[in-house]
Amino acid sequence: MSKFTKEMVDDYADKLLIGLTDEENKMVLDEFDIIDKNLDLVTQIPNISEVEPMTHCLDDFEYELRDDVVVESVPISDLLRNSDETDGDEVQVPKVVG
Amino acid sequence: MTKYLAKIGLEMHCEMSETNTKVFSAARNEYSESPNTNVRPLDMGFPGTLPVVNKEAVRLALMASMILNCSQPEYMYFERKNYYYPDMPKNFQITQETKPIPVGIYGKVEFECGDEIKTVRVNNIHLEEDAASLDHFFSTSNIDYNRAGVPLLELVTEPDIHSAKEAVAFLEHMRSVYQYAGISEADSKKGQIRCDVNISLMDAEKDESNPENWGTRTEIKNVNSFGGVRDAINYEIERQTEVLESGGEVEQETRRWDEESGTTKRMRSKADAIDYKYFVEPNIPKFKISKEWLEEIRKSIPELAMDRKNKYINEYGLSSYDAGVLVKEKAISDYYEECVKTGIDAKMAANWVSVNIIGELNKENISIDEFYITPVMLKQIIDGINGGLLSSKQAKEVFFKAIEEEKEPKNFISKDNAQISDKDELTRIISEILNNNPTQIEQYKGGRDNLFDYFVGQVMKNTRGKANPVITKEILHEELDKR
Amino acid sequence: MKYMNKSIEELHEMLIKGEVTSDELVRESLELSHEVQKKCNAFVTILDDAKGCEVTDNLLSGIPYGVKDNYSTKDILSTGSSNTLKDYVPFFNATAVEHLNTAGAIKVNKTAMDEFGMGGTGTTGHTGIQKNPWDTTRLCAGSSSGSAAAVASGVYPYALGSDTGDSIRKPAAYCGIVGYKPTYGMISRYGLFAFASSLDHCGVLARSVRDAAIVVDTMKGLDINDMTSWDSSNVHLRSACTGEVKGKKLCYIKEIVDKERYKNASQELLDHLDNFYKTVENARELGMTVDEVSVDEAILKAQPSVYVVISCAEATSNMSNLTGISFGPRGEGDNYIDMMKDHRTKGFSPLIKRRFVIGSYVLQKENQERYFKNAQRVRRLLVDRWKEMFKDYDAIILPVGSGPAKHIDGSKDILDENTAALEEHLQVGNFGGFPSITIPNGFVSGLPVGVNITGNCYDDENVLNIAYALESTMEYKGQIAKEVK
Repeated sequence: MSKFTKEMVDDYADKLLIGLTDEENKMVLDEFDIIDKNLDLVTQIPNISEVEPMTHCLDDFEYELRDDVVVESVPISDLLRNSDETDGDEVQVPKVVG
Repeated sequence: MTKYLAKIGLEMHCEMSETNTKVFSAARNEYSESPNTNVRPLDMGFPGTLPVVNKEAVRLALMASMILNCSQPEYMYFERKNYYYPDMPKNFQITQETKPIPVGIYGKVEFECGDEIKTVRVNNIHLEEDAASLDHFFSTSNIDYNRAGVPLLELVTEPDIHSAKEAVAFLEHMRSVYQYAGISEADSKKGQIRCDVNISLMDAEKDESNPENWGTRTEIKNVNSFGGVRDAINYEIERQTEVLESGGEVEQETRRWDEESGTTKRMRSKADAIDYKYFVEPNIPKFKISKEWLEEIRKSIPELAMDRKNKYINEYGLSSYDAGVLVKEKAISDYYEECVKTGIDAKMAANWVSVNIIGELNKENISIDEFYITPVMLKQIIDGINGGLLSSKQAKEVFFKAIEEEKEPKNFISKDNAQISDKDELTRIISEILNNNPTQIEQYKGGRDNLFDYFVGQVMKNTRGKANPVITKEILHEELDKR
Repeated sequence: MKYMNKSIEELHEMLIKGEVTSDELVRESLELSHEVQKKCNAFVTILDDAKGCEVTDNLLSGIPYGVKDNYSTKDILSTGSSNTLKDYVPFFNATAVEHLNTAGAIKVNKTAMDEFGMGGTGTTGHTGIQKNPWDTTRLCAGSSSGSAAAVASGVYPYALGSDTGDSIRKPAAYCGIVGYKPTYGMISRYGLFAFASSLDHCGVLARSVRDAAIVVDTMKGLDINDMTSWDSSNVHLRSACTGEVKGKKLCYIKEIVDKERYKNASQELLDHLDNFYKTVENARELGMTVDEVSVDEAILKAQPSVYVVISCAEATSNMSNLTGISFGPRGEGDNYIDMMKDHRTKGFSPLIKRRFVIGSYVLQKENQERYFKNAQRVRRLLVDRWKEMFKDYDAIILPVGSGPAKHIDGSKDILDENTAALEEHLQVGNFGGFPSITIPNGFVSGLPVGVNITGNCYDDENVLNIAYALESTMEYKGQIAKEVK
């Protein structure tokens, strides 16, 4: 019995602002089961919880932070040329409430 | 009402206005009336753009962390807070959570509240990016990306505050810290300060140090002025008290401060809390903060309000009250210090700044930067007084005239309206007046002491007010005694 | 085909000597682009108005090349093969593209790919499936499917790719060419549409190791727009290709290539492994040692899931900027939420949507520890184990995939438990940011297969030189796809 349900999958999808067909939903469920089983193996690795999660590709990386120097703004015509709905110099959306 | 103790925690967001560029992009960090004029590709979340951390923003954030007595991390990380909203072009905010450690954790702040010194523990302070701003119209909203990516400091306190008054005093203290440290103008009128407030009530007789005795808290989002914080806290304390008095239970929820109605309104319950799916930002490698850099930053912390206040009291001999008035706003304190530097006597400068100048600023509702009289001009007036060219009344007249006509005070100070301080001349004038008033001299000698003022008045009338009053009185006494 | 089957250095010499003009090269490359488009559906955009340019000392000047469609190209449609960006025309160039522009290289097309690089088949892009030029009933693998098909077909000497799991190195193998992704951060990712930022690499597909070295020498460099980039000015890849490899030490991983472990192996798989061992012998003949080492099976087994968990998690966040608000087609709806949802539901392919859901699930507060954090932990264990091998060995040599290109009709792109380690081990190269190159090493069932050399971070010169030496022992360098069916 899978611990994942169709409803769960739909809820996650909804929070990501995407809709899934029933078929897509089913595929997610199948995939979850495989991942879940594989990660069961992980939890059995001794002392796994003591390993520091690897969050970046190069862990021993040294670098400088950026100097606080202004680079000129991109022309508004460039910024807006890919937006389907603009109003003057701004992107327009239906009224945002709350 | 007295049987409950309010426990209040604040989340204070303050835009860092004092960097040249945004926190993760090199766009100008400056308020602009023209939309989308301070925008680099990252600020609109265009595909392929990457965050690049501004060193100055990190430096100032670490400085704030030090001032708040927090500990600083060995390595700096950033994290993503994921949620969908049109003012967040990437639909995640780059911020810092408490794990891994942000720029500061576990500090404490002491601040004045009335005559008392209060302490608030700081849970953490972190560096993050601001969102774009939305302009609302009838059925549409427009997005201005100028503000997207402006560096923001979020300060999270423990619930150690107990009243609206304390909360406002704390916020005023922090505003002063940010101003004095050169981190931000911290101007709530410009929307640079925004607060979330969490409040719970507990039985006042129980032990406050045990969190089990605390009540259920509500969080009030987006309170954008100090007055709003005060009103929201008072409203929420009253609301929760009513709930508890009527035997109900306070629900853990997020509420919104509605400025118009002066009430808090429910936004969402705990069950609907958003899962922000935080994870470490992979595009910003962990950054080693060297001990040397921290030391350098620590040494560069400017004098803060409290330091200046002590200096004014101990070195300049001002009263605690006057010193407090002068340091309340950094710009005014800077002005005052400039006055002292130009050579004006510290006490005299304090008097002029705290009475005449602050009075004028309040009357005109302008800031010191917009004020016409500079410290150098003020010195012209003070020199006039010290040189005997101006009486204090005349000095004020010159002060206002200079403001009104926007001309330097020296234009209104001349030898013509100079005081007559020459003893020989005054003796001559006084003798003449006494000679013309033998009856009054007799009456004065007979015991009518108040006639002395009559003689002074005659001198003033005769000199059209220019006689030096102190010297005039001296000579009058001498001359009357002779007769 | 008169010119485009040649190497970069050959073309450069011809250009310098005036035996051919840059314009002629561009014209031929464009003609070939249209042919390969018909045959393989390799491109999103063919830049028909591309022109030749002045030839300079730079080896790449005047020579055509292709750009994977997830690189931002100024004033040129850049879709990432997704409907969410089907009309997106950027106003800025990716740094790598900018470097090639400066060198005088000439873009002639934008290559099709798996949508945003999330796929290993070349079937999920919005313009359809990329077919393998050796056999058009088969896949190229992905996600750099269009680039692989075009380079293998001889449209130009090289094309840009990106590699998050094996997206350069696998299609290169299936198309019989070279695919190289250098150490993480050697090439700036600025302007590369993000899939999974901690795993994404820029790189190149070419027909020889030397060509790949020349191109990456030009693409690389510290970039102020990418904090993860580093200064590689002392790295000279082309001059590192000397063929001097005597005494170098290689190893392979027993748990991945031991034939004993594949009880029900197909003949193709067995042939593939035999072919691999033949290449190992070639290495030994060059004077290198090749040892067999063992890796803990528990972490090897978890490895493909580790990849899925980390890549999906980062992807779901990276691609939340795709909402159709300030770029991309506007969705329909009365409010912004419905608008964004409509844009995303219509814009993304089913594969991506599934991966987003997985990514979101593993990042949920209550699941993070078990899935995401544990995956990141195993990532470290794998990388540490690989680095341990690099203490003793110059590089790891392993076969790519479990045989030749798969058939289009049998394609699936969900996790398969069988032969998973063999299929997915290249992903460790992304976990650790290791330099990794695939070169063709023969044919199975008449179709090309590849072998991979992976070395330690920053050791790109060594890795390329080993691949260069190995390439010289075989006859597949510079090969152009000949249709076998």
